[in-house]
Amino acid sequence: MFSALENTSVALWVGQSLWAYPILLSTHIVGLAIVVGIFAMRDLRLLGFFHGLCPTAFLPLSKMAWMGFIINAISGFLLFTSQALTFISSTPFLLKIACIIAGMAMAGVIQSKLRGELANSGGEAVLSGSIKTLAAASLLLWIAAIIAGRLIAYL
Amino acid sequence: MLESIALIIAGGPLNLWIQSIYWLWPILEITHFIGLSLLLGGLIIIDLRMAGHFREFNLTATHKLLPIVFLGFGLNLLTGVLFFCGDPLRYSVNISFQIKMVLVAFAGLNALFYYCKINPVIHTWNTAAESPPIAKAVAYTSLITWTGVLLCGRLIPYLGTG
Repeated sequence: MFSALENTSVALWVGQSLWAYPILLSTHIVGLAIVVGIFAMRDLRLLGFFHGLCPTAFLPLSKMAWMGFIINAISGFLLFTSQALTFISSTPFLLKIACIIAGMAMAGVIQSKLRGELANSGGEAVLSGSIKTLAAASLLLWIAAIIAGRLIAYL
Repeated sequence: MLESIALIIAGGPLNLWIQSIYWLWPILEITHFIGLSLLLGGLIIIDLRMAGHFREFNLTATHKLLPIVFLGFGLNLLTGVLFFCGDPLRYSVNISFQIKMVLVAFAGLNALFYYCKINPVIHTWNTAAESPPIAKAVAYTSLITWTGVLLCGRLIPYLGTG
C-alpha cells in the first residue's frame, strides 16, 4: 500500500521536483508556528500565566489553529508520500503522529470545557484543576511532537 | 562582513566544540522550533488584536504575552548564534540566511517603530472602533516579516550559496 503511494504521480512530483519538497517544508513550518503557537499560548494561559487575558477569548482563535492544522495535514501528507515506506517504519514519525492526534483531541476537549465556562459565567472563567491538567498535557504533547518530528532526520 | 566573522570563528574552540557533540545539533534545532512557536504564537495574538481582530481579547492585556515573545526570541538568538558558530562558512555565504537576517533586523525596526509611535498612545484608542491604519500596517508588517523569516530559515539547506 505504501509503496503504491510512493509511486503515485503526486509522490513522484514531490520527490523529483527541485522545488516541491523545500516549498512544502517551508509551508509546514508556518503551519507549525500557527498550530503550536496558538495552542501553547492557550495552554500557558490556562496554566495561570498572562493574567488579564480572558481564557475564553481563545475560543474564536482555535479556528485559526485548525486552519494551521489543515495546512500541515496537507503539506505533511504530500511530504509523506514521497518517502512513505521510510516514514511509516520510522519510530519518531509514528510518535509524532500519535502526539498530534492526542494534541488535537485535547484541543477539542479543552474547547468544549471553555465553552461550558463561557455559558456558565459569561466570560469570567474560573479555571478548574482538570482544565489545568489538560493544558499541561497538551503543552507537553506539542513539545513532544516537535521533538519527535525533528528526530525523524536523525534516528 | 559575515564572511570575515565566519573566518574568525571557523576552527576556533566554540566551532570545534559544537561540531564534536553529535546530539547538540538536533537539540539546538528542537529548541529553535520551540522558540519560534513561542515567538509567533504570542505575536499572532498581539498583532491580530492590534489590527482589530479577535476583540474578545482586551487590547492592552495582550501585551502580557510580550515576555513569552522575548523568551522565544532569546532562545532563537542563542541557538541561532550556536548554529552559525557550528558551521560559519556555510551560513555566511548562504543567500537564504542573509535574507533571513535582513528580515529579522527589519522586524526589529518595525517593533521599535511600534514602541515609539503606537505604544504610547494605544491606551487612548476607542477599542470598539476600527484600529488606526498605521497600527494595522505595523501589525501586518510584523506578521508578514516573521513569516518570511520562517520561510527563509527553512530554505537555508536548499537555497544555494553566494
